[in-house]
Amino acid sequence: MSLFLQELVVGISTGAIYALIALGYTMVYGIIELINFAHGDIFMIGSLISIVILDLLGITTTSQPTGFTLLAVMLAACLGSIVLCAILGMVIERVAYRPLRNAPRLAPLISAIGVSLILEDIGKLWKGVNNVPFPQIFPQITYNIGPVNISGVNILVLIVAVVLMVALQWFVTSTRTGRAMRAVAQDREAAALMGVNVDRVISITFLIGAGLAGAAGFVYGLQYGSTIFSLGLPIGLVAFTAAVLGGIGNIVGAMLGGLLIGLIDALSTLIPDTVLPHGGTPWHNAIIFAILILILIFRPSGLLGQHTPEKV
Amino acid sequence: MSTLISPHVLLAVRDNRQLLLKWIVALLVPLAVFTFLWNGEAMANQVLLGLFVGVSTSFDTITLIFAAIFVVVFYAVIITLSGYLVAADSGQRSVVDLWLDVLVYILVPLFLVIGTGLIIGLALAALVWAIYLYVRSRVFTKRTIKSGAMLSELAVLAEEQRGELMRRAVLGGFWFATAFAVVSLVLDLIFYVVGQLPDILLVWVVLRTILLPIVGYFLGYVGGLAAVRRTIAAKTNGNGRGVTNVSKKRRLEVLSTARALEEAKDLVPNDLPLSSTGAQRFYLLLLTAFILFYPFIDPFLFGPGTGGRLAGYGDAGYYVILALGLNIVVGFAGLLDLGYVAFFAIGSYTWAIFGSTQWGLLTGLTIPLNTIGWYFWPMLLVTALVAAFFGLLLGAPTLRLRGDYLAIVTLGFGEIVPVIFLELDQYTNGANGIVGVESPHLFGVDWSGFTPGPYYYLIVVLIVLVIFANIRLRDSRLGRAWVAIREDEIAAASSGVNLVNTKLLAFAAGAFFSGIAGAYHSAKLGSITPDSFSFGDSVIYLAMVVIGGIGSIPGVIVGALTVYAINQFILAQLDTLAADPASFLHAVSAAIVQVFPGFTFGNVRNLVFGVILVIVMIFRPEGFIPSARRKRELRRKEEEGPEVGSLDVVPGAPGFESEMRIE
Repeated sequence: MSLFLQELVVGISTGAIYALIALGYTMVYGIIELINFAHGDIFMIGSLISIVILDLLGITTTSQPTGFTLLAVMLAACLGSIVLCAILGMVIERVAYRPLRNAPRLAPLISAIGVSLILEDIGKLWKGVNNVPFPQIFPQITYNIGPVNISGVNILVLIVAVVLMVALQWFVTSTRTGRAMRAVAQDREAAALMGVNVDRVISITFLIGAGLAGAAGFVYGLQYGSTIFSLGLPIGLVAFTAAVLGGIGNIVGAMLGGLLIGLIDALSTLIPDTVLPHGGTPWHNAIIFAILILILIFRPSGLLGQHTPEKV
Repeated sequence: MSTLISPHVLLAVRDNRQLLLKWIVALLVPLAVFTFLWNGEAMANQVLLGLFVGVSTSFDTITLIFAAIFVVVFYAVIITLSGYLVAADSGQRSVVDLWLDVLVYILVPLFLVIGTGLIIGLALAALVWAIYLYVRSRVFTKRTIKSGAMLSELAVLAEEQRGELMRRAVLGGFWFATAFAVVSLVLDLIFYVVGQLPDILLVWVVLRTILLPIVGYFLGYVGGLAAVRRTIAAKTNGNGRGVTNVSKKRRLEVLSTARALEEAKDLVPNDLPLSSTGAQRFYLLLLTAFILFYPFIDPFLFGPGTGGRLAGYGDAGYYVILALGLNIVVGFAGLLDLGYVAFFAIGSYTWAIFGSTQWGLLTGLTIPLNTIGWYFWPMLLVTALVAAFFGLLLGAPTLRLRGDYLAIVTLGFGEIVPVIFLELDQYTNGANGIVGVESPHLFGVDWSGFTPGPYYYLIVVLIVLVIFANIRLRDSRLGRAWVAIREDEIAAASSGVNLVNTKLLAFAAGAFFSGIAGAYHSAKLGSITPDSFSFGDSVIYLAMVVIGGIGSIPGVIVGALTVYAINQFILAQLDTLAADPASFLHAVSAAIVQVFPGFTFGNVRNLVFGVILVIVMIFRPEGFIPSARRKRELRRKEEEGPEVGSLDVVPGAPGFESEMRIE
């Protein structure tokens, strides 16, 4: 039981990261109906950028800043990663997707796969093929609640994720640009006729989605202590599953889906040898894909999404 | 009998001599390069010395005989082609234009192949072609010149005009052969004076110089026959056998411009005879001879090391099969499959488990190892069916999904399958994989690893079968349903296409072919591990289809070879060059390593493919060799005005009910 509760905590914290990434998928899909394959790799680049910024600030894997320094360093790394990833996302949209806006449906999808490969190899060239250690700057505090250990990092991750998600929700529902985004998602041509600058709105969508991925890259590094160039694809796939589970195109759904997938991911490690050969751990991706397929068959609109008939 | 013949009189304005000169130069230069700068003549001489004079050369008799057959076929086809081309040319295109084409399409690849070897050379040539095509289309659009045959040029040829074509073809064959004989004579005499030509071969030189013009005369006649077969003749009573009669012209007139231009490629005279359908038959003949006799001419062309090269081409071959299979799913049916490697893995493991001791361990049924290879042949089909079954299994629940969801689900499937093979280690031996997979058996054939010849022919046969199946599938009712789904699902469904079943069949057909490739792969390699099937491989297969031309069978084959070359040869070659301090690349690579410490060319494989995918999608979405249909769809808006078909003509207007009447 205590193991179960422990995994629950880990799951919520991981789920928050998945949710941050899933938001990028869901926003882009909601607006231009494209699975942005490169999104997972933007997240990976974000985690590398965080490492580089910490490095530039003189933080090594052994340093333990405290107080104000800690706060400043973390803010710098997190914001730096967000800003640079946001710019990267916008550039990708401009270069690889916008020329294909009116092309057959497969074209932008294939282009997205191409971008994903490019980013992955850039990560490989940049930081090598091995695990890159991420400085564990956040103090290793552990709170014991009964049999369960909750580390400070887990709480921090959750806080960062919740703050960003609330901010996003506010932005989408309460600002002029957010309204424009919803309008474009609903009917691009009608929105354009109403004077919405569609290109700009799509750019902003990529900007925000990629920025959230950058933040996720930072908190991922804090939580797991290392990152690697090949992270983008598997994590991106899990996050996409989360977006579909919640109902693609739906922002609250992506958050919910992220948390659920995080929980499933964490709890799947508890599956004993007797059920699956070698226990649940090597199978966790397989389990998540099985879930993805099941959702797509039985409830393609996800948990919170409403059914959208295919546009003619 | 009244026949209204178009006022275009074919030959009045054209000067035969100029036409002959144009084509003789265009064909003679590449042929001379092949013969004298490369190994064409050396091959012929070796064969003559070995077979007739009995001088011991380093080649065995079988090699010499097959090389001799190839040489004869090769030169005969080229001379016949010269006859055909001279007859088929309408003379509209300028000489410079044609010579430029020949330079880029034939000479440059020839030099690249001579310089860098077959696969790398062809891949580099493909790059040169792509650049040339792009530049040319830009220049042509600027000059508002349309390439291709003009409809107005398609004249009905009277009997005497066809006779004139024959005369020109004979002249073409004769003069081309004569020119070649003279050039050869001069060069051989120079070789003789320098001392590089054995005395005994002088007999042959004399004989050849006399024989070639005579042979050229008759081969030119054959080429002329081929050309005349494709002319439009006035309809006569049953005498128009083999000749396209006037109704063809009528048919073209009522087609849309784009379709008519395509069909016009069939006909003679033609503005672009080099790419006309008749010429393509000759190329096909050359290609067939080349592929059939390749293992025997390879040592003459590229020197020692035939075994290793043939083994490499065998691998390139299963890439081709995989690309063709994926092309059914992605190209014909328009379903993005990102987990194609899974079916390949299933196919590989099916034969690997059956064809090794693993089968005995699993089932207790032991098949003696010396007979197990015989089961390869039926198992080839079984393997394909097993893969197709898994295609159905994956497809059944997921194909109701929209295209982009499907991409993700297949991607997930592609990730899961290797995990399953890895974790179910009591069946698959886990990460160590299965070793000792048996080769196929066949009477009197040595399949051991040292003689790659059998695998070369096996893969050639398999590829031919797969291509045949693909063409039949594409043109079948099912194939048209696939294309309909690709273009517009809703419209297809409204027209009575059963979406789910049709998509399922596309998945199953694609998986079927990957199963064949898998069985071949595991038999040839002899061992199989789960980590050789990754998402990266799926993307490479996708790149083959996309680069070559989505939905185009020849395009996909070229794409597969290009990607194979980049993947296996070119990057490795660049690394070898970069390691050599004398080369230019050494400095470049050293500079990059300064910035990115881990840089090698082999390391940026995915980057290269990623850039290629994005660039192709943006600049040439129809791929390198597009299928005609797809090209029409993608290029129609920019290149053509509104289509004018018979239905667009108002009744009563001139042009309604075309004036041409027969009989």
